[in-house]
Parts: sequence; structure tokens; C-alpha cells
Amino acid sequence: MTDTALTTALNVQGLSVWIKTASGKQQIVDNISFSIKAGEATGLVGESGCGKTMTAFAILGMLPAAGATLESVAIEVNGRDISSLSSAQRRSVLGRDIAMIFQQPGTALDPVFTIGQQITAVHRRHNRSKKNKHRQAMLNSLAQVGFDQPDKIAAAYPHELSGGMRQLAMIAMATVCKPAVLIADEPSTALDSGTRALVLKQIKRLQTDHGTAILMVSHDLSVIRQSCENVMVMYCGRVLEKTDCQSLFTHARHPYSAGLIACIPQLNARSASGAKAIPGQVPAPSAFPPGCHFAPRCEHAASQCDLSVPGFLAENEQGNERGNERGVACFRPL
Amino acid sequence: MDTYSHNSKPRLLEVKELSISFLKQANAIDRVSFKLEAGKTLGLVGASGAGKSSIARAILGLLEPQAGEILFDGNSISKMGKHQLKAARRRMQIVFQEPAASLSPRRTVEQTLLEPLRHFDIGDSNSRKDKISQTLRTVGLNQEVLPRYPHQFSSGQQQRIAIARALITDPDLLIADEAVSALDVSVQAQILQLMQSLQQEHGIAFLFISHDLAVIRQIADDVAVMYAGQLLEYSPANTFFNRPAHPYSKALLSFARFDTAPELPIRPQPVQHGTACIYAGQCADKMIVCGRFEPEFHKIQHKKESHCVKCHLYDEKNTNDM
Amino acid sequence: MTHTTWQRLKDDRYGIGGLFIVAFFAVIALSVWAGLLGQGWSEVSGNRWESLSAAHWFGTNLLGQDIFQRTLFGAATAFEIGLIVTVFSIVLGTVLGALAGWYSYSWLDEVILWIKGVLDSIPFYLFAAAIAFALQGNRWAMHLAMIITFWTTTARIVRGEVMRIKQREFIEAARAIGLPDIIVVFRHVLPNTAHILLVQSTIVFVAAIKTEVILSFLGLGIQDGVSWGLMLAESSQEVLAGHFGNFVAASVALFIMLMGFNLLADALQDALDTQRVNS
Repeated sequence: MTDTALTTALNVQGLSVWIKTASGKQQIVDNISFSIKAGEATGLVGESGCGKTMTAFAILGMLPAAGATLESVAIEVNGRDISSLSSAQRRSVLGRDIAMIFQQPGTALDPVFTIGQQITAVHRRHNRSKKNKHRQAMLNSLAQVGFDQPDKIAAAYPHELSGGMRQLAMIAMATVCKPAVLIADEPSTALDSGTRALVLKQIKRLQTDHGTAILMVSHDLSVIRQSCENVMVMYCGRVLEKTDCQSLFTHARHPYSAGLIACIPQLNARSASGAKAIPGQVPAPSAFPPGCHFAPRCEHAASQCDLSVPGFLAENEQGNERGNERGVACFRPL
Repeated sequence: MDTYSHNSKPRLLEVKELSISFLKQANAIDRVSFKLEAGKTLGLVGASGAGKSSIARAILGLLEPQAGEILFDGNSISKMGKHQLKAARRRMQIVFQEPAASLSPRRTVEQTLLEPLRHFDIGDSNSRKDKISQTLRTVGLNQEVLPRYPHQFSSGQQQRIAIARALITDPDLLIADEAVSALDVSVQAQILQLMQSLQQEHGIAFLFISHDLAVIRQIADDVAVMYAGQLLEYSPANTFFNRPAHPYSKALLSFARFDTAPELPIRPQPVQHGTACIYAGQCADKMIVCGRFEPEFHKIQHKKESHCVKCHLYDEKNTNDM
Repeated sequence: MTHTTWQRLKDDRYGIGGLFIVAFFAVIALSVWAGLLGQGWSEVSGNRWESLSAAHWFGTNLLGQDIFQRTLFGAATAFEIGLIVTVFSIVLGTVLGALAGWYSYSWLDEVILWIKGVLDSIPFYLFAAAIAFALQGNRWAMHLAMIITFWTTTARIVRGEVMRIKQREFIEAARAIGLPDIIVVFRHVLPNTAHILLVQSTIVFVAAIKTEVILSFLGLGIQDGVSWGLMLAESSQEVLAGHFGNFVAASVALFIMLMGFNLLADALQDALDTQRVNS
């Protein structure tokens, strides 16, 4: 991997998503912007219902057609805008330039085909001319995610593999065409600690060996801390804080980020009161509070927080590329 | 593995040499023994498929063991008559991993909470209403939830309802089978806090099954480590986290800290019963004897605590020969 | 039905249309049973093959009977057959299906499946004829034949659902407190099959009526009354002679009512579908 000026692999500007619900049109993703360079990993962290998975689907253009509308200023992979592509054009991009791995490896793989068949199908889709190379590419990608007997795995059906192996197989499938960007949606959530460590290690290898840009979507902050350099904290559709991982954990600036970090159970110590909890619960889209969405649960909230929406205040623009600012959306940051 | 205290009162829960086999899987649980004192928390850890949930079901009487016994307050569950078993069941309850799946979708919260009260003949219609209100308050919910259906709540609230259902019979033992694993970290923290306060205020013992060691650290007094159906280490929590003895325990902690990752294949290799250590195939500290003989439990003396390890490394004979 | 289901149903125009049609015919059937309508179905009140008139809204048939009265009575007959066959076959199918599913892969399951297999293999119309013969023309022979053969479809569906449902944790929770099996099945398992049974009921209703039509053609249908099937059977001769009154009345009534049921069944299925993405 050369160390020339790193290209921006994924650039998202002004992404918003609305869905139609029983109570009308609700905005579930509110003007998200970020960029990830080649070989970098950025975490998108937030709780269930904050809109992070919808963001991932929106980037890929995979929102359910009925009932979801998307607006964006730009969604660019390696400089090429994919949001305005026709569906045929987009299909040629998915899998080749940008790919996604999903949370439930059990259901994301088709049970009636072998692993090998599914992976070669992906390769074939994007490499029509190279006839004999499909099997080789498939075996290579399996070997690269750590299988020492790729041919055995290729011949197996999904139900014959354990959850962890299925997840690795899915990574192999997503990366067989060596995409520039990989979106990992809760890649380790359903897995126990050993398998989780293994899966994250393999994702890291993609980053270091192939320069893949990784967008890791997760509610598990310890996973993000382990795997990503940068992180965005999302709550009720908005990005509340954007910074590098280390800074977030040493001095989070948004009360929500700080609250989330305080909730994480520590492996190394038993805290006297257990993990500290954030009071209240995440509101549904139809009940988003006016003003700052987190204000009702925030210890530091003032009346201003209930009335107006804090904009995203970028700090320290020097040396940061467009879209990659650090910052926090808060009237009273910590 | 025997550290009976000289106490006349029987332990709340004692599992002795429990073995369970399934049609397709012999020795799914293989001679597992542990004990749980009233008011304490035992953390049962291990990878998925290690058999932890099967133990929970056996304790509740939902699975017949092939060998061994389970003693609840000194009485063997498999030998209990119908009435004795019912009385025992009233005192042990379970909370499952998926809150939505564990609540009957077509029954209101009120019906779900009334069911155990009715089944165990607790109270009458007036006192039951009070009991329900009281239990809801304990778990941090209010009366408004009663006429609604499970799908109308968030997973955090659903899990509270499930806990309320478990608490309503005033159990002495609560089995939490990955009860917080499916929850977001802030909800998880709230539920853990709730469980800790339940233990402090009501003296409920917990059998806390989880693969998440950080959670176990917060809540367990003792830790039992399972691998492929066998119990490999049993120790007080602090000892487990600071001075783990078994190589598998060390590996688990190392994975949890992201220091190392396991090698593929991840599944335990089957071994012939009794002919080798079940973990030998993956063990970093494997010796020759590990592939030949099944290890016994060895006690590690450290103050007065009961710390047992099923490992040849701690066999004095072996260490003397080395 | 819960609130959202009702909401969805109300939004579905075709479904509401279907509901109205079914309700309309149901009212007619009730009125006939109450003696308010269609009482003159067997009366020879006119000349044969009279055309539409004020006295005979749909004209008369071969025997001079009023077609309109006969059409009304036919609605009652349709409902009688539909309801009886549906209720009994659904109940029988649910009970046997639930037993087979709950005790799946046991001897009980095997026995029930075997019986199901045997019944499914018998050609239905032969069976109906055999029952009619065995009961010597008893009017209930037709209903019985249908009930005995229709329960198998419901049983298969219920068995599958019960096998799926019994793995879910809320069933384990119920068993964990020691509830006896039968209570678990009736209180927790079967209510979760209700949505499927509701849809299945409408399907069986339609099948029963259609089957009666064919049985009437075979002379195995209703003996002591009139049904649309019987009217259609009669009209096969009349049509050759150029008189369409009977045929049109019966087939239009049949078509509208079955269409109503089908629309209702589709709407119910969509409304009860818990997996549907809101569009």
C-alpha cells in the first residue's frame, strides 16, 4: 500500500431520509455529512432506531422504494457520485466499488447455494469477460479472510458453518471484487467474544492490506474503539459529535456521547454502582422533541436546548478535509 | 471438586455431575457441577453453543438429564413429585435473551403478569392487582402498560415486562439467559442496574448466563467457564478476571480485550469421551498428557476461596515432573 | 383483531367492498331462515319460462317457479353449506393439526398424518357419492363428505404453524412455570394461529359452495331445497331451449358472492400480515 496522498473513498454530503409512517412523513436521518479516506475506518455509532442502518442503506441506494425518500447533496465513491445513477448503473457499482455486510449472517446468505457459488456469482456479475478467474478469485477472497481450507468452505452450505464462519464468508463475498468502500452493519453483534475478535481482525486486514475504506455501523462503542480511527455519534437521526476515537473516549464533548461511554460495562473493573445509565429512553420518530433531540434526557440541558436545534460546530478546520471535521452539535458542550 | 462448607442449611441451588445428551449430540452437557448460594450471582460464561442455555433449561425442569442431579434447596428436581415441583418452580424464574419473543404476542401485559399468579394460586383478585402494581414499580414501569400488547413497547421496556413477570412470584432464583445481550448499551446499563438493586433489596440469587465478559464483571460474584459442554474453571469473579487459571479463560479474556483473536476453525473439535482434554485442540499451553488423558479438577489454594480448574497444568504430579 | 388490523382493513377499498357483499348476502340468508324472504321458492306460481315481470322479477323456470324466490333461497343454502362445512372442518382441522404439531414426530403425529394422507388420496366426488349412498340420501351426506375431506388442509397449515410457534421463547416461558401442555397450546399457541385460520375460513367457505355446485350437477347436491348449484344444473337443459333466466340469476349471484369472499380473504390476509412494510 503506497502512502501517496490518500484519496477520499467515500464522501457523503447532506444526506437526509424521510419515511412514511402511520402518523405521516417522518425524518429519520437529518442532514448527515462525512467522508472517509482510503484505508481509514470510521465508526457510525448510535442506539437502535437512531437511523444509522438507514443511513447505510441510503448510501447504497437500497432504501425500500415504497415509503422512503432520500435527499442528498452528494454521495460519492472514489469521487464518482452514485446517488444520481440509474438503477442499472447503480447495480454495477454495488459489489464492485462499494459493498455491505449485514448483521445477521444466518439470513444474509442464501441457504440453497453453496458459499462458493454465492461468491463466484458476485465476481461474475462484475467481471463478465474473465471466465476462468472467478473460481480463483473466490478462493483467494476466502483465504484472505482467514480460511485455511478455502475449497472446503466453498463447497459448504451456509447452514453447515457456524455463525462466525458465516460472517467471514459474507466478508469474503463482499470483498471478492475488492471494493474501495465496505460498509459493515453490526458485524460482530451476534457473535461471542472470540469470533468477534476474529471478524474484526479480518476487517482490519482489509483496511491495512487493501486500503479499503470502512464505515462501521454499530451500537457497540467498544467495537468501534477497537476498529476505527474516527467516529460519529448519532442520535435520533442527527450526528451529535464527530471526532477521532481516542478523543471521544478521553474527553467526549457531547453529553450524549459522554453518557454512552459511561454506560459501557468495563472489563477491567467493577464499578460501584454498576454501569451508569442514561435516564429515559430513545423517542420514536413521531415523537422527536423539538430543538435538540437529546434535550429531555440531558443533565446539562437549558431552555435554549428545548427550543432550537444546535447546529454542527466544526472545530479546528485546519488540516482537515471537507466533510471530515471534528465537531459537536451542542449549545453547551462539555 | 468439593468445597462444601460446614453449614447445615442446604444451598439454594446445587448442580452435581449433570450430563445431558441430545439425539444428535452426545454429551452436550458433560458432568457439570457448580453451586449457587442464596443472594449471590454466578456468572456462567463460554462461547455460544457451549451448553449454557441447556443447563438453564435443565434447572427449570424443561430438560431431562441423562445423569447427575440438580438440587434446589437440597431436594433433587428429578425426584420431586408434582406439587413439590410446582412449589419449586414458583421460586425459580427465567428471563430470556429476546424480549419480544419471550412475551406472548396476543396477550396483554396484564394477562401475562396475572398468569403466574393464577397458576401458582398466589393471592386473590384484589391482592393480585396490588402485587402487579408493586412489581411494575419495582421494574420502573407504570400502570399504563397493563392493557397494551408487547409489540407496542421498545425492547428495553419489553425486557422490563419480562423481568416483572419473573419477579411476580417472589422467586429466590432468577436465571438470566443472555438477558441483556440483545439490548443497546444504555438500556443494558439500566437493566443491569435494576438487577443489582433487586439483588440488594430482595436477596434474589442470579444465574447470569452471558458471553459478554464485561457484563459479567459488573454483576457476578463467582464465575463458571464452560467449553463444549464441560466446566473448565470455577472461581470467584475477582480471581477469574485478575488471575485466570485455565488457558481457555485466559484466551476468553484476551479476546474480550481484543488482544488476540482465535484461529480458524472456531468450532471445538470433538474428542473421544474421557480420552483427552476437550480444549486440547485449541490450547496454547498444551502438553503431551493433554492429548492422552482427561484432566481432573484441581483446587487452587488462594486464601479460603474455592477456585477449581480442570486442567493438567495444575496437576501437582505434572508440575513436579516438569 | 387488533386496532392496526382493523385500521388496515378499513383502508382497503376492495376489502371493504368484499365485506359489504358478504354482509349483504348474509342478511338475505338470515331473512330467509327467519321466514321473511324467499319462502315461495318451490311454489309453482306462474307459467313456465315467463320473462321478467313485476310479479316475477327474474321470471320463472321450467316448472313455473319464481326464479327470484329461488335465488334468494339459494343464498340461504349457500350460507348453510358454507358455515357448517367451514366451522366443523376448521375446528376438526385445528384440533388435529395442533395435536400433530405439538407432538410432532411422535406416534400421534404419524397417525394423524397417515389419516390425512389417506383422505387426501381419495377422489372427492367418488367419496361424496359413497357417503350419499351409505347414508341413503340423507340431506347431510354432502356436508359430511366435505367436512371429512376439507379438514386436512387446515390441519396441515395448523401443524406447520404450531411447530414453528412452539420453538419461540414465550412458549418456553409458559412451560417454565409448569403450565400443563394443553393450557399452553390453547392459551398461547392457538391464538397465534388465529390470523391464518381466519383467512383459511374464507377459503373453505368458497370451496364448499363451489363444491356444492358440482355435486348438484352430479345429483348429489341438496335434496330438499334449492341452491344456486341446483339452479345451474337445471338451467343446462333450459339454456338449450333458449331460456337463460335461471342460468343468469344463479351464475351472477354465485359470482358476486364468491368474488366478495375472495376480496375479503385477500384484504384480511394483507391486514393481518405482521411482516408487511408500510407503503
